[in-house]
Amino acid sequence: QHKQNVGVSTGCQSGCQTCSVYNGCLTCKPKLFIHLERDGMRQIGVCLASCPNGFYGMRSPDRNDCIKCGSECDTCFNKNFCLRCRAGSYLHKGKCQESCPEGLVPSDTKRECVP
Amino acid sequence: APRAVIKVTLLRQEPTSKPITLEGVFVGGSAGYAEGKLMQSHPLSLCNTSEDERQDSIFITIVKLESPGNKVPQCQPLLDKARLALQRGAEAIIFDVSDDATAAHQLREAFSLPKPVVLVEGANAEELMGLVNKNEEAIVHIDIMMESPKWPPYD
Amino acid sequence: EQEGVSVPDNQCPLPCQCDEDGILLLVDCSELGLSTVPSNLSPLTSYLDLSMNNLTEIQPNAFHNLHFLGELRLSGNHLRHIPGAVFQDLYNLQVLMLQNNQLERLPSEDPWDLPNLLSLRLDANLISDVPERAFLGMRSLRHLWLDDNVLTDIPVAALNNLGSLQAMTLALNRITHIPDYAFRNLSNLVVLHLHNNLIRTLGQNCFEGLHSLETLELNYNDLQEFPVAIRMLAKLQELGFHNNNIKGIPERAFEGNPLLQTIHFYENPIQFVGRSAFQFLPKLHTLSLNGATEIRDFPDLTGTTSLEILSLTRAGLSGLPQNLCLQLPNLRVLELSHNLIKELPSFRHCSSLQEIGLQHNLIRQIERNTFQQLTSLRSLDLSWNRIELIHPDAFSSLQSLVKLDLTDNWLSQLPLAGLNSLTHLKLKGNMDLSSSFREEDFPSIRVIEMPYAYQCCVYGACNSYKSASQWEMEHLTDEEEDLQKRALALFPIHADNNYDTDLEEFQLEIEESKLQTSIQCSPVPGPFKPCDSLFD
Repeated sequence: QHKQNVGVSTGCQSGCQTCSVYNGCLTCKPKLFIHLERDGMRQIGVCLASCPNGFYGMRSPDRNDCIKCGSECDTCFNKNFCLRCRAGSYLHKGKCQESCPEGLVPSDTKRECVP
Repeated sequence: APRAVIKVTLLRQEPTSKPITLEGVFVGGSAGYAEGKLMQSHPLSLCNTSEDERQDSIFITIVKLESPGNKVPQCQPLLDKARLALQRGAEAIIFDVSDDATAAHQLREAFSLPKPVVLVEGANAEELMGLVNKNEEAIVHIDIMMESPKWPPYD
Repeated sequence: EQEGVSVPDNQCPLPCQCDEDGILLLVDCSELGLSTVPSNLSPLTSYLDLSMNNLTEIQPNAFHNLHFLGELRLSGNHLRHIPGAVFQDLYNLQVLMLQNNQLERLPSEDPWDLPNLLSLRLDANLISDVPERAFLGMRSLRHLWLDDNVLTDIPVAALNNLGSLQAMTLALNRITHIPDYAFRNLSNLVVLHLHNNLIRTLGQNCFEGLHSLETLELNYNDLQEFPVAIRMLAKLQELGFHNNNIKGIPERAFEGNPLLQTIHFYENPIQFVGRSAFQFLPKLHTLSLNGATEIRDFPDLTGTTSLEILSLTRAGLSGLPQNLCLQLPNLRVLELSHNLIKELPSFRHCSSLQEIGLQHNLIRQIERNTFQQLTSLRSLDLSWNRIELIHPDAFSSLQSLVKLDLTDNWLSQLPLAGLNSLTHLKLKGNMDLSSSFREEDFPSIRVIEMPYAYQCCVYGACNSYKSASQWEMEHLTDEEEDLQKRALALFPIHADNNYDTDLEEFQLEIEESKLQTSIQCSPVPGPFKPCDSLFD
């Protein structure tokens, strides 16, 4: 009998509703986000109150997922709208750019285009 | 469906030690040859919502399918999950179906899959998932197993 | 939480963990079972995480001296109400996370005074109403999360005070209608999520004022009509209204939205589609219209020149326009299965085509120029048609074709010119196709389905060979030794042997050498399906 260790809130990491040996968390407790964490060749599920840097939380009736932001973005509202850019690019109306539109200048501390 | 021979070479093993040979079954018309580094994907990573990060090396994805009983959201049919994994650059995908008896049926019409999709279970699956669990880096070679046809006994 | 050096104990409130960021302090008190906010917080605290504790209320002066506080996380507690005094004098606060609590209302008489707040998370609470004055003290707010609450209406009056707002989600609430001028002052709004509500009707001018809107999500609602109110969203790039109850898409439906790149509207009972509905959308790259049985005529796609993926299945189409490829020069995937198409135009000018799906139509023959010049075509599905004749040169220029499905047609012969790169070929069901093929006809084949078993004999399906499980495992065969060396050569491991994620950076050059070639041909010949044709 294959060692199938599916724990319902027992023996699982905090925040998990169900989990298994190989996949980690499979479902989370209400309102929490499931994040798929890469650890070398492994990829396991963990449950979080808010998604880590580089991911945003997408809520839906049956599940809340952490989804990857676009490239160049550290934190985002959704795939196409960034809140904070990575070093070297500057935020303007949700987009990360290497230079700023006319009338605005790049601020390295804020990583934003500012007046 | 044709059977698959899976040879696993650990990156951190003695040069003389022999590769591990395991078996699986190809699904639909996906029989073929593939080679790459073994990388696990969580079943939920093959939903359309999440986008798995790009791998640098040439890789073969392995997914441990959970039993339908423990309510992992299915999000999309298994055939589409396999297609998504291959679109993300996997050279092939291995499904551990030890706990999901419906998988083979869901993938029976997999003619359109561009690369190999292999089902493993039991001891073969446990060996592979054991390596993953220990983060033991490995290269996997998949090919079609040559089998002698089954002739009924003549008297 | 940012990296930094550890901090002298007297500044870091126990049992929290602290890091220094210059002279400022990053304090993590998350998941500690706290029921009150630590009292001895350093005035130099710039980041404070109190998430996932048992806070049911916050003392009015809990944060009174934290003038440097930039980010405050209170998510995952049991807070029902937070009076305005709690957030007094937090002039530097930019990020406030209150998601996953039990807030029912926002303060009205003493609204939160957070003049520099940029991001406010109120998702996953029990908010049923947002008073008009709630956001008076947050004029700089850019990002607002109100999803997963119990709102039944758009909080129009409160939103009128948020002229700087750029992104907002009201998803997963119980909103049933969007009134006219609901977002009148939100001229900077770029993203608006309204999915998973109960929206049944939209005011004709409900999106008036959203001059900067690029993304609008109306998925999973109960819309009965096409949302004509979108006509005033000139900057719209991404529109979703899938999983609604919309039955038709009117003529010139998107004429007010020339910048549209994606439109998702699957899972609607769409029957009627205006022929001009998808005209003049030069940025649109995907259009899928499946099951719209009243379409009859192929839509006029003039001016929609960037289309790469077109899927028009189960639509009752009986023919295709001759100038299809002139209108759609960038087409990569064309999916037209389950229609009533009898004749095909030439796809010659669709030079980027990689996949064509024409299965389950009424096609009778393939002309010389039907698929000519399609040098990128990889997959061609013509199964379940009535094809009797294929011109000898029909496939001659298809140098990239790897998959060809001709299952269940009326073929008596198959032209071979151009098929040498095939890896998958299906001919099952062509009962008049009885000729035998030679191995060299399909030099790259891996999987082939023939009408008759004897046609598989040419692929050695009749003689016996060993299966891998019978191979002797005791000693390392030459082949396995070669495998070992090649694996190590291609994936050099670091001398220090411990697992190190930099391993990902090594380059892998792999040639198409296979350990052995093996072909899967069916039906597999056997004692009752012998190798020599019964008719010879």
